[in-house]
Order: sequence, then structure tokens, then C-alpha cells
Amino acid sequence: MSLQAIPGYQQNGAARAVAEDSDADEDVLADDYREAVQYEQDDQNDLHRAPSGGPQAIQDLSAQLAAAAAPLEFQATLETRFASYDAFCGMFHQLLNSAQPLDIEAPSYYWAWDVIDEFIYQFNSFCSYRQRVALKNDNEEEISLLKDNPQVWGCYSVLNVLYSLIQRSQISEQLQAMKHNEDPVKYAGEYGSRPLYRMLGYFSIIGLLRVHCLLGDFSLALKTLDDIELNKKAMFARVMAAHFTTYYYVGFSYMMMRRYSDAIRMFSHILIYVSRTKNFQKSSQYDSIAKKNDQMYALIAICVAFQPTRLDDTIHTALREKYGEQFNRMQRGGPDSLPIFKELFKQACPKFISPTAPDFDNPELNLDPVEHHLAIFMDEVKNNMWSPTVKSYLKLYTTMDLKKLAGFLDVEPEQLRHWLVVNKQRSRQIRWTERGLLDGEVVNSSDLDYALEGDLIHVSEAKVGRRLVDWYLRNLARTY
Amino acid sequence: MGIPFDYAQDRPENIEAILNGLDRYNPETTKIFEEYVLHQCENKTYDCYANLALLKLYQFNPPLARDETITNILVKSLTVFPSPDFSLCLSLLPPHVLQKSTSTSHSNPAAGDAPLTEAVQKLNSLNNLLASGDYTSFWNTYDGDDLFADLVADVAGFEDMIRLRIILAVSQAWRDISLETLEEWLNVDGKDFEHLMGVVGFKVEGETVKVPLNKENEAKGTVIRENVKFDQFNRVIRRAFEQPA
Repeated sequence: MSLQAIPGYQQNGAARAVAEDSDADEDVLADDYREAVQYEQDDQNDLHRAPSGGPQAIQDLSAQLAAAAAPLEFQATLETRFASYDAFCGMFHQLLNSAQPLDIEAPSYYWAWDVIDEFIYQFNSFCSYRQRVALKNDNEEEISLLKDNPQVWGCYSVLNVLYSLIQRSQISEQLQAMKHNEDPVKYAGEYGSRPLYRMLGYFSIIGLLRVHCLLGDFSLALKTLDDIELNKKAMFARVMAAHFTTYYYVGFSYMMMRRYSDAIRMFSHILIYVSRTKNFQKSSQYDSIAKKNDQMYALIAICVAFQPTRLDDTIHTALREKYGEQFNRMQRGGPDSLPIFKELFKQACPKFISPTAPDFDNPELNLDPVEHHLAIFMDEVKNNMWSPTVKSYLKLYTTMDLKKLAGFLDVEPEQLRHWLVVNKQRSRQIRWTERGLLDGEVVNSSDLDYALEGDLIHVSEAKVGRRLVDWYLRNLARTY
Repeated sequence: MGIPFDYAQDRPENIEAILNGLDRYNPETTKIFEEYVLHQCENKTYDCYANLALLKLYQFNPPLARDETITNILVKSLTVFPSPDFSLCLSLLPPHVLQKSTSTSHSNPAAGDAPLTEAVQKLNSLNNLLASGDYTSFWNTYDGDDLFADLVADVAGFEDMIRLRIILAVSQAWRDISLETLEEWLNVDGKDFEHLMGVVGFKVEGETVKVPLNKENEAKGTVIRENVKFDQFNRVIRRAFEQPA
């Protein structure tokens, strides 16, 4: 549906974005895009309705299906948001509560993703909007409207829809069967054997990952993916946006659980994938993920600053281009790096939401949830910020007296002891090996290790042996 | 090692069932989770994943939230530092609890849970001291404010659990450490100190304490060797078949 509309969006989007106030760039782009899509949508529906003459009910629902994936206008009023919520509810109600599975085809293979994506996007933007209205506390009319309708876009109803779709389609059972190399059809049931329900169920799992992450429940977010195996053969990999979103949220959740090596693994996987395939992607699809792409580079920079890792060359080069200076400063650590961590985190984190209606009577209590998560994250950054300094010195020696090193660093020996403990603790990380995403083993993630005898620091390094296979293979290929 | 985050050894079956089903969102299960938290406090067990589920219920249904249970959960998660559990719990609390109290919230008593805000912020400062390895300041702060005694009252053996964690941190980095430092970090001395050292297997020799060798405090240099998989040679071998020389 949206593909045809996109060339238009690109052209006048680019032209107008320059003219507009720079702050609103993105909004304008989004706005244009949505308008364009909306028109296209209406046209299509009209065309579609005219020639065919099937039963009216199914007809209506097909139209609803097509319309549901259409994004909301950016500056939508509260009424539109309410109406859109009702439309979603109506559609899901029909899909889920019919006596038997509805016999309709999804408009396209990526339609199911679009619907779930838009559903969550609207939930997200509604909650942010409500929060802002409450914090500003100057629009009586909207406040009273919101107060009277606390159930609209409530977290319970959103979760209810997602879980119901998952249960109806018995997608979890199907995925488990696939894992054990059994035929999933046996477990699919009446609804799940239809592509429409199956796809909706599947993408609802990804949707749950996203919602949990937005609400700040990172462990539960990872837990929801228990049945999905993350690899290129997975179903989500067929829809670029879904592929991309999944890795972003999994990576982010890992980062918040301080499993940096796992987060880096997730981000690198998808960033390499994007950089390799960007020439094959329809430019429009690529545009829509370009922003998230930059966000992920910011996140991978943060993770690498926490835990120095050799990155793939393509990613490393791109990272230097995009965030070279910031990356260097974060890796150096110390108080100078704090504002950079803050800036990149704010730029790259998801738009966190509070699940419940804000407290309209105490507007000052309705802080932006992003600030909350930022504060929690920054505490961790602060506790860690001396690790790079300590490490850079330790690398130079095999044995070192603690008091002497403290003298170099210009701190009290006791302070240095704290840093050494912290650095040691942080170098032990849980890393995924198999099974669920929350599983993992504790490993030493640093190439530098040390132990103290009294005040004498013994330093040891893990050296990487020569890598012969790559060299051998490359030369074989050349001479052959 | 290798314990999944969502696994807890002593979790009763009924809790397990709730966690895996949709009942984890059912406000009626709040009571069950609250009792489970108390059970953990009394029996020195710990189940972060279940506690997060309770905090989530509070997040969805603010009127149900009980300050005492929230602080108990936070105190419990302190006892497993340096894991991220404390931060994960904080993430599920309402944003205003970390807000530095301004004059407005004082003049306005309707800002409600000021005691909770205060408690959470103080616990957060304790957590930061633990996470930054500053154990001496941790004990000073902890002993210096009566509020903490109230907060940890429900949690049996809080101080001992913290001490064990500090000992673990020490054993990861030290082979021997000065007696004075360790006493300060653990905030015990004399008979109690000697007893504790006996329990964990550290040997006191004059002014130093010997830590038994373990995997973490060896600090042996290693050489990482590459792991060659047969798959890497796929192409070479296929070529050899395709173009017989």
C-alpha cells in the first residue's frame, strides 16, 4: 500500500523540509508522508470497492484492514486519536471474536507488520502526548477530555490485543514445533493455519518486545522472544522494518541489562546487514530506517565505550564518520565523557512511556519517562567512568605498585582500590551462548586481567594468536 | 554458571505458573506476589524476575502500590550487587521518585509519596556507593541515617549478605589484602571478623589476609587461538570439485 505513495513523499518532503523550521524537519517529513499515504489509501479503497461485489461484511473488513495500516497524521487532534483507537478496537474485535476464522486475505505480506507497527506507534505517541499535556497543564479542554477517557489507549487494552492475537493464532506453539523440527501445521489450529492470523500473531510477539521495552521492563522484553530464534531465516527477516526493529529493541534491552557484549552483537548484526543490502533496498524503505540506523550507531558507540570490542571494519568506519569525536571522548572516560553519554543516549533511546494516565492534579510530577531512564543509566556510566583510565595505565605494566599508580593518577590509594574493584566486576559479564535470550554464561570480557597481592598489582593480558585461516583462504582464492 | 535471568531456584510452583501465564497482569495476584516478597525477605531467598512482575503490576495499577513492598524489593536487590537488578527495579517505578525534591513538592503535600521518594533516593545513593566499590562510605552512610535501619528491618540478614558480596568482590581481585582495609570494608572487627574469615575460608596472617586462589584472582595470561570451522573451507572444497585440475 505505501510503496506507491512514497516517491511523492520523498520529493516534496525534501523540498519542504528545507523551507521549514529546522526543528520541525522530521515532523514535516512524517506529515507529508502520512498525507500522501492517506490520499493513496482513499483512492485505493474506492477503486477496490467498485468492481467486486462480495458480501458486505467481509468487504467492510477488508477496507478496514487496508485502512488500519495507514499511519495517523502527525498533528492529529485528540478526537482523531480517539477515533483511530476505536477503529483499531473494532477491527481486532471482529478478527478475534468471530465464530470462525474470517476468510480474507491480507492485502500484502508486510501488511500484518504494518498494522502492528502502526498500532504500537499510535499507542506510543498517544501516551507521550498525554504526558506532555499534563506536564504543560494549560489546555483545560484537552485535560478534561483525557480525564474522562482514561481507558482509551490504555496499556491493558493494548497488551490484551497483542496477547489475544498470539493466543488465537497459537503462534507460540507453532514456533516451538518448528524448533523441534516438527510440522507447525499440526499445532496451528483453526485460526493459526491462516496466513492472516499467523502473521498477526507472529508480529504481535515482536510488538510485545517493543511495548515492554517502552515501559522499561527490559527483562520481560527479552523473555517474550523465547520462541523466536534470531537468525536470518526467521520470519521477521522477510520484512525489513521488522527485522530492523527487532534487533534495535533486543540490543537496547541488553544494553539496559548491562550485557554490553550481547548488545554489541545484536547491533553489529543488523548494521552489517543494512550496510550490505542498502543497495538492494527500495530507497524508500531505506529512508525510513536511516534514522534508526544512526541511533543504533550511537548505541553501539556507547556499548563499545563500556566494553572495548573489535568491531567489524564496515561498522567501525561508519562509526568514525558519524560519531568520531564523541566516540573518542566516551572511550577516554572521565567526567568529560558524561555529557556525550547523555546526549547520545537521549538521541538513540526509544521514546519511553508511562503506562497510566498522568496525575493531572500535580503537573510537576509528570516527568518525561525518558529522563527517568536517562538518570538510571547515567548512574551506571558515572560508576564506570574511570575504568578506561585505569585500564590504559595497567596496559603498560606487568607489575605495578598501587601507591605509585595512585600517584600517577593523582588520587588516593583507597580511591584506586575502588576503581580496580569496579573495573574487575564490570569485566565479568554475562554472555549469551544458547537457548533463551536471558540465558548466558559469565565470562571475562576484557583482554586485560589483574590480581593484587597486598598493594602489588599483577597484570596479565590475553593475547590474540595469529589469525591464519583468513589469510590462507584469501590467498587460496587468489591463486586458484 | 549460566543461570538464566528468569530462573530462581526456590520459586514455588504457583508463582512460576503466574509468571508464565497472563495472570501476571491480573491485579488480584498482587497479594500473592506481596506475600512472596515477604517470604523472600524472611527466608533469605531472592527472585528478581518475580519482583519485577510485581513492580509491573504496580506500574499498571498505581493505587495498588505499597511503599513498604517497593522498598523491600529495592533493599533485596541491593544484596545482589553489582548485578543490574537494582536499576531494573528502578526502571519500573514512576519517574518522579528520582526527581530531586524541589521547593514546590514540599509546599504541596498532595505530591503524595514524599516518604517513598526520599527512601528510593537514599537507597539509590547506597546502591551507587556499592556499585562504585566505595564500601567504607557505604557503611558510614548506612550507619549514619536511622531511616536505613527502618528500611532494612524486614530483610533478614541484610548486612551479612552485603558483607558476603563484598568478600566476593575482594576474592575476585586480591590474593592477599591488608587486614585494616578489609575490616574497614566489611565494617566488622575482632572476634566477629575472625569468625567471618573462617566461614569464607580466608586466612588471617598477622596484618594481611590471604585469599584462596580462584579462577578470577589468578590473572594468568592467555593466548586466544582462532577457532577453525569446517564451514569456512566450504568454498575451497567446492571449487576443487567444480574444476578438477
